[in-house]
Amino acid sequence: MADLDHRKAEVTDDVIRMLAETLEISPEEITPDLEVNVDLQLDSLQLYEFVIAIEEFYNVRLPDELLDQVKTVDDMIDVIIKLTSK
Amino acid sequence: MPSEEEQMSKALVRIFENVVLTEEKSLQAGYFKDLSIAEMHTLTAIGPYEARTMTNTAEDLGITTGTLTVAIDRLVKKGYVHRERDKRDKRIVRISLTHTGKLACRMHSKFQRVLAKHILAGYDEKDRKHLINLVDEIDKYVEQQLKRYDSSENIRATASQVAQDAIKEKN
Repeated sequence: MADLDHRKAEVTDDVIRMLAETLEISPEEITPDLEVNVDLQLDSLQLYEFVIAIEEFYNVRLPDELLDQVKTVDDMIDVIIKLTSK
Repeated sequence: MPSEEEQMSKALVRIFENVVLTEEKSLQAGYFKDLSIAEMHTLTAIGPYEARTMTNTAEDLGITTGTLTVAIDRLVKKGYVHRERDKRDKRIVRISLTHTGKLACRMHSKFQRVLAKHILAGYDEKDRKHLINLVDEIDKYVEQQLKRYDSSENIRATASQVAQDAIKEKN
């Protein structure tokens, strides 16, 4: 359980950092409960910049069908944990 | 009143032309103005993930490796494609998308998905399934026709038919 919490904290930090880089804002402005499209207002180009950065960093695949299930930053974190634990 | 065949054939040609035209216009209006639609299709054939060989990619696009080489030269210069020799087998050239190439490929796939989503949005679930099945059948039929012209057996059959016709004509 402690391992899982540690992993989640690690992925959260990485995702927020990459998202902040894409949006060119401070990581402090991003929290896991925010909705990617509504609150952060990522346009398609920014979304794919972010998605490709994650794919390259974790060596995973995030096809559009999977992205359809991602609403919040936390959803993205969960998807990454699931994909990297396989 | 045009016949059913006429309506169908006109609609098919129009759909094909308009999809290509819409793709082209969306490229010109978007972030990847320096790409032609043929170049975008090349990026899609390479795909956003593993590196591919020139031979496999050319096969998927239905073009020769020579034609693909010219296209890849341009895409490498524009910064969309990365090309390198296989580390184990130096004869093989592998191509993959750069970060910008991946971005263009994903944006284009998104465009196609949105187009399909909007077409399907006008129908209920039952009609959507029916429409997808019909389009699938059309797709399979057209692909079969294409394969007829692609296969070497067909070329042999055509050659043999031409020879037979020539003999008949002579006699």
